[in-house]
Amino acid sequence: MNQHPYLRAYMAGIAFPTAFLLMIWLTGYCIARFAFKISAPIEQLLVFPMAVVPNVFGAWNMLFVKLHQHWRVPIGLHGAALPLFLGPIGAVFVISMGFLTVTERGLIYFGIFRIPYWYLFIAPFVIIAVYYLIWKYIVGSLNKLLGIAY
Amino acid sequence: MTQQNHDEEEIKALLKRAFPIAETELRRDLWPTMLQRLSASSVTVPWYDWALIAGLAGALIIFPKFVFFFAYHL
Repeated sequence: MNQHPYLRAYMAGIAFPTAFLLMIWLTGYCIARFAFKISAPIEQLLVFPMAVVPNVFGAWNMLFVKLHQHWRVPIGLHGAALPLFLGPIGAVFVISMGFLTVTERGLIYFGIFRIPYWYLFIAPFVIIAVYYLIWKYIVGSLNKLLGIAY
Repeated sequence: MTQQNHDEEEIKALLKRAFPIAETELRRDLWPTMLQRLSASSVTVPWYDWALIAGLAGALIIFPKFVFFFAYHL
């Protein structure tokens, strides 16, 4: 079990977001496209959560295994730092594709959801807390199962 | 045998000596070990993580739009 630790770390990292996001986004896409006949280019929107996020999880877990040899930071804290990178990348995606509009009253996602500005002060803490729990209990358990650092 | 064939045979022999045939077959069934690991792993959640989970659940109930943030940025 000591062979290919980075490959195993990558697999342990991508397992949860791949399954979870596939379930959420593909279901949402199918309902929107086939049930409600929405013709908006939703496919462009799927790139970030379905392709970027799982791979970043895998790479972040590989980085954890590498760092763990020198610096034993808890996996929950390591995972909690990930939204600090993913958040801005996600924002760049939605802004560049025109899915996010900045108005006086707040941000409007996809021309439907209005997010008041004060949400932006709370959202990072909530997302960091969610990531902490996901990494500590889900990715950490998978790492333990695969015999790598946790 | 030509000189070229002789060289090729010699190179083949050298390569075989340098790189022995890899063991590609499993020595034993790994699935029982995996099942053993799955049943042996017990997760204990400390009180502060329960508090965090409760706080997050409360935040999602009060501010349901956070669900949208999670769905996209998870």
